[in-house]
Amino acid sequence: MFEPPVQRLVDELARLPGVGRKSAQRLAFHILHIEEADAERLGNAIIDLRKEVRLCSRCFNITADEECSICRDLRRDPTSVCVVERAQDISVLERTQEFRGRYHVLGGAISPIAGVGPDQLRMRELVARLEAESVSEVIVATNPTVEGDTTALYIARLLKPLGVKVSRLASGLPVGGDLDYADEITLGRALSGRKEL
Amino acid sequence: MHLAWLELSQFRSYENLRFEPDPGINVLVGRNGAGKTNILEAVGYLSMLKSFRRTPDAALIRSGEERAIIRGGFGDGDSEVDIAVEIPAAGRRQVMVNGKRPSRLSDVAITAPVVAFLPDDLDLVKRGPALRREYLDDLGAQLVPTVGADQREFEKSLRQRNSLLRQDGRNADPMSLDVWDVRIAESGARVLVNRLRLLGRLCNRLTDAYGTVGGESRDLLRPIYTSSWVTVGEITEGLEPDFEILASALLKALEERRTRDMETRSTSAGPHRDDPGFLLDDRDVRVRASQGEQRSVALSLRIAAYQLLDDRHGRPPILLLDDVFSELDPGRAEGVTGLLPHGQVLVTSARDDEVPEMGRRWRVREGILK
Ligand SMILES: [Zn+2]
Repeated sequence: MFEPPVQRLVDELARLPGVGRKSAQRLAFHILHIEEADAERLGNAIIDLRKEVRLCSRCFNITADEECSICRDLRRDPTSVCVVERAQDISVLERTQEFRGRYHVLGGAISPIAGVGPDQLRMRELVARLEAESVSEVIVATNPTVEGDTTALYIARLLKPLGVKVSRLASGLPVGGDLDYADEITLGRALSGRKEL
Repeated sequence: MHLAWLELSQFRSYENLRFEPDPGINVLVGRNGAGKTNILEAVGYLSMLKSFRRTPDAALIRSGEERAIIRGGFGDGDSEVDIAVEIPAAGRRQVMVNGKRPSRLSDVAITAPVVAFLPDDLDLVKRGPALRREYLDDLGAQLVPTVGADQREFEKSLRQRNSLLRQDGRNADPMSLDVWDVRIAESGARVLVNRLRLLGRLCNRLTDAYGTVGGESRDLLRPIYTSSWVTVGEITEGLEPDFEILASALLKALEERRTRDMETRSTSAGPHRDDPGFLLDDRDVRVRASQGEQRSVALSLRIAAYQLLDDRHGRPPILLLDDVFSELDPGRAEGVTGLLPHGQVLVTSARDDEVPEMGRRWRVREGILK
């Protein structure tokens, strides 16, 4: 146990993903020794993130405005929508420069073990967008895991009666991993070689 | 491929141990409870990433300690592969191959294949189907890396469907069940294809092995496979099952049993409920064979596994013989020692005179190896 203010920070840091007890202590003691202005900037950055950032009203990407920069970009093709599990997957796919449509962030993948069913994901919002935005093609870019693949299959079945073409990223992605782990070339190839579901 | 060195830290009875076995035969002698089997178990763990005694991970940690570490170097003459497993009392297990996380865990079983003859191998033949399924799935995973990946995918899909059924029972969302059914049908059919293909490759080897260790018996040992959702015909050498037929059979069975599954809140059709078995001529070995015959069949299963791995990888697997000589009559013991001169062997025994005179002897006493 440390003095209460130190302990409080250690506890909070240790709750972050990928941060163990030891690294939390190291970070806390690092922050303890930096300039006060630096510590303040760090604190404010965290507070501002939560205050100023919200979800795009169209695709649920992270944005500072009503709609995200991709949805506002008039050069992007609104008839093509790429479905991802999380907002951070968008930046990974954007780096490939292969996709010129818009995105839709589901907020996860179907996993009964984790208590996530279709109702906990933004499925209804996706269906609503198809009609409102006359979408003709949906590319499902969920993670290549059991849950991601099952979610892709669910989307294909959900959208089938609506006459929309649904395709899945071609294989070649590391199985069981996250999109983050795939390099740009593999991901670019997966995008251009997508298969209809 | 042989084990060049093994390091244990807070594993079972060992606080710290470094063991550099011979590339040939190693006989570990010590009284019961001295920790001989723990060493074999650790070697087996590096290969299969689980305890061959079916001990849960947490129970492998020396009492009062936070984590156990098993680390081993597997050599092949010029190259060495370093496999390390860290088992924490709380949190996730870490597996490292040459200092890096492997992209697929199922690749580890291929790197350092191990065959273990265990004192309770008779259970393989005598008891329920779970042990025989495990025998086939473990051996399959040591032969082909995708086989282990297929198993993991099936098991994960099954856990997900069961979880949905447990939570929602009769109110489970039909479209969600539909997609899990498809996933289970596909991955489950792949698991069955792998098992049947393996049985097809084991056929002649089992017959031959039984011919060696079966003593007087002239009966023919051959595998059968019983499933509640598909009829598997005769298993012959080189069998090539049809994935499409099996996948659609499983999908159909899942659909037909859905109402029942919703009520029982579990999945009743799939390879996880199948029963692989063995016949001596036309007798089911499990119920209509003598104890002696059963013992010979169990031995034949291990011998056939050893030979299949040897053929497949072009080099013998590491052989672990845990206290098996005390159970064997001279004829059967010969069948086992017939394998020995080939690759690396780790043998345990409580008594010095039980094991045929061979190899290098190690004394095991209270966590020390000499
Ligand atoms: Zn947007």
